[in-house]
Amino acid sequence: MRARNNSLISRPECHKKLSLNVNKTLYEVEVAAHHTLAEVLREQLGLTGTKIGCNRAECGSCTVLLDGQPVYSCTILAVEAARKNITTIEGLKVHGKLHPIQEAFIANDALQCGYCIPGMILSVKALLDVNQNPTAEDVKHAIAGNYCRCGSQPNIVVAALAAAKMMKEGR
Amino acid sequence: MSEEAPRLLVTGTPPPPLGREFTVIGRPFHRRESYEKVTGEAKYAGDIKLPGMLYAKILRSPHAHAKVVKVDVSKAEALPGIKAILTKDNTPGWCTYWYMIPQKAFPEIVTYQGQEVAAIAAEEIETAQKALELIDVEYEVLPFIIDPKEAMKDDAPLVDNMDGDGVGALFPPSGTRRGNIYGGSPTVLKRGDGEKGFREADLVIEEEFSTPPQHHATVQTRTCVAYWDGEKLTVWESCQGVWQPKEQLARSLGLHPDQVRVIVRYQGGGFGSKAGAQRFSHYASKLSIVTGRPVRLELTRAEEFVSHPRRQVGSFYIKTGVKRDGTLTAMFGRAIFNIGSGGLFSAFGKEFMGIGIGKAFYLYKCPNAYFEQYGVYTHTQYTGPMRSPQEILAVFAVESHMDRIAAELKMDPYKFRLKNYSEYGDQEKKIPYSRKSLDKCMELVTQAIGWERRNELRKLNEGSTRKKGIGMADFIYYGVGLYPYHAEAEVFIKSDGSIILHAGIVDIGTGSATILPMIAAEELGVNLEDVNIIYGDTESTRYAPASNAARVTAEMGPAVLQAAAEAREKLFARAAQLLHAKVEDLQSKNGVIYAKTEPSRTISFKDTCKTLGPDEIIVGRGSRAPNPDKPKFATFGSQAAEVEVDTETGEVRILKIALAFDFGRAINPNFCIQQSHGGVVMGVACALFEEGINDRKTGVLLNANFGQYRTASALDLPEIVAFNVEAEDPYFAYSAKGGGESSNASTHAAIRNAVCHALGVWIYELPLTPDKILNALAKKTSD
Repeated sequence: MRARNNSLISRPECHKKLSLNVNKTLYEVEVAAHHTLAEVLREQLGLTGTKIGCNRAECGSCTVLLDGQPVYSCTILAVEAARKNITTIEGLKVHGKLHPIQEAFIANDALQCGYCIPGMILSVKALLDVNQNPTAEDVKHAIAGNYCRCGSQPNIVVAALAAAKMMKEGR
Repeated sequence: MSEEAPRLLVTGTPPPPLGREFTVIGRPFHRRESYEKVTGEAKYAGDIKLPGMLYAKILRSPHAHAKVVKVDVSKAEALPGIKAILTKDNTPGWCTYWYMIPQKAFPEIVTYQGQEVAAIAAEEIETAQKALELIDVEYEVLPFIIDPKEAMKDDAPLVDNMDGDGVGALFPPSGTRRGNIYGGSPTVLKRGDGEKGFREADLVIEEEFSTPPQHHATVQTRTCVAYWDGEKLTVWESCQGVWQPKEQLARSLGLHPDQVRVIVRYQGGGFGSKAGAQRFSHYASKLSIVTGRPVRLELTRAEEFVSHPRRQVGSFYIKTGVKRDGTLTAMFGRAIFNIGSGGLFSAFGKEFMGIGIGKAFYLYKCPNAYFEQYGVYTHTQYTGPMRSPQEILAVFAVESHMDRIAAELKMDPYKFRLKNYSEYGDQEKKIPYSRKSLDKCMELVTQAIGWERRNELRKLNEGSTRKKGIGMADFIYYGVGLYPYHAEAEVFIKSDGSIILHAGIVDIGTGSATILPMIAAEELGVNLEDVNIIYGDTESTRYAPASNAARVTAEMGPAVLQAAAEAREKLFARAAQLLHAKVEDLQSKNGVIYAKTEPSRTISFKDTCKTLGPDEIIVGRGSRAPNPDKPKFATFGSQAAEVEVDTETGEVRILKIALAFDFGRAINPNFCIQQSHGGVVMGVACALFEEGINDRKTGVLLNANFGQYRTASALDLPEIVAFNVEAEDPYFAYSAKGGGESSNASTHAAIRNAVCHALGVWIYELPLTPDKILNALAKKTSD
């Protein structure tokens, strides 16, 4: 028996130049049509805080904000993200100061191996940007699409609620 | 503090007890690498990009069992950008190493879907991907077997396992392989006279339990970057240790270990599966040597599922004799573990194989017990340790069984467990544990869950389609520290007052890189921020265990304490001159050295360091000693669960889990609680969702993705109440024995017992999916 599969060989190469607005900086890039946003962020722009865990929208490690909405950047094509505001974990610090969510994650030990944390933080940010008074249930729903095998979810919920309080108090 | 002679498990004379209250230990410091992790600045192996780096891909067998007749790479090699292709033809006899035993790198006969057939390095990842499809492999597909009970039969197809039946292993099997049975016979643990014990019983109960394949499902897939610069191989790994891959890679590639440097600064989850170099990093390293270029190899999620050493699975038959008053008289158990194509069993042999049955053998007091454990090869992926190795099956069996016996005797399961509480680590020789507080754990979790509501819940459930139940289950994790007990640490103090701890460990997220400096800071008498740590790198560290089996605190803890104590004594010699005091009269705390008899006579740590010459460095060394034969060492825990089961849909909702963990002392209490959270999250998924499904028709893994291999999300989590149960144990650094491993060891059994309590039926298999619940209820109605 012979096993062969040539299905992908004839895939056409199609490149496109575009500008990506990442963390309020414009980057001119040339991407292949099939390149995902996650690939371009990591491999071309060196923004490796965005992780890839499954590459099929199931683990949430690649979560970024697209015009404020959390998306799986592993299943958004880079060409789709042009002309949109992209926020990655690298964009959360302001003038070197941590975002309250980042501070709350540290203060509540809301991390273990850390691989899922950029995605977790961005999912929490997407929630807190629209909901100043979230409940623990709201937070659980917000991070339900972010996989954490270490089991940091209990502390992440606590951290998100603490961050909401800090943000409300304007800290 | 103990008044007796110091018993800390170190080589040479143990340092005297601290002799003052703690100032660092027990405080909830945050992880030192928190900032890097919340900002995305932490560089994991896959984030490293070197100039001229090539990208690698592995071609894997699509068949569970096949002969690799021919591998034609001519078309693939012709692709522009292809730099190297490795196959069995150009690497004859080449082996990868795992736990220092050889595994065929490109076997002539593949024995599981996903086994390596070729490795490619290319300028672009997409070129490597295309080359995969252009390699023409001719397979002769052979009959396969995936069920261990079938595989044990005389006429079963033989598994040509990947690691030569354990020949050359650390603990080779004592017998020769028979059929697919590892070592030809089971590993046995026994005490007393089983026949006599069963004769004395008023009641004999027998049951059989099984658990499904569980995959580690780490969020980071296996990834490394390897670079051979012509003289030295540097590998940025994603595994749980640095010293183990250094030795393995050197052995595999014919290098001297000094020519291999391994770096793991950040690592995205291991849970046992990455203890040591994995097969994939051998291919990346060899490709780098062949091409002279850096090579990155990152597995896809599907590859990760099929090619990692998943948990052993199988079945557990257990039979117990008991008196009317609840006294156990005899226990018999037979565990059959599917070890796949090989793996850890072949490395640690029968020694390791006893671990599964040991969880059942040691947990309860019973004068007559006989447990046997078979390892059976099948044409499934190789197997290895996963958080609570082998306990998932054994604890599930014994703790489910205990509830059944209690029910038959109409006894409360908690009281029944207390009745058969075992004080001794060796029941025949009456050798105690260094410390055991399982009774305290049981008390805490039953209180937290509201155990007294158990009978009341049964009544409330009547007539309702949402039935609540409460259950509990205990666990034991014995052997605190493991062969070869090799753990070394160094503390350097310089004239500028800087203190550096060198520890060759990897912090896999448990907080070891914070915990070990806490131990050093306490022993030196300085503040935590005064101690820096160099870790996750074989350069400038000495041998340390991998972060598996809860061994970092248990093994490195004493070594770090000893190193710090030695450095402190050397500095005290300086301070004694400055303070006109005797060394033995000195004490230190919060960065200040003082005379015990006259605490106002002080000098700061830093000022004492200033008297060192500019190039003078104080060095303290520490080294772990093996565990003695007496007493026995173990950690213990108890978990209780409250669940609600919908009898119309079969869905289980877990309302609350209480967990109490007896591991000596928490160096950092919050980290320990967090390990318990992690165990419960994993335990919930094990109880309700996780099951790797190998197709019976083809042997291939059908659900190699997170969508179909379900784990727990935030929405599945119950309220979790976790307790650190602390007690003195002078063999370990400030009594800390490690609490990272076993927190998932009895979550599944506690949930199962709660479900059975709610429904009044017995369920013998995991996961507790709705179909199993509904089938059990239907069977109850028809009975």
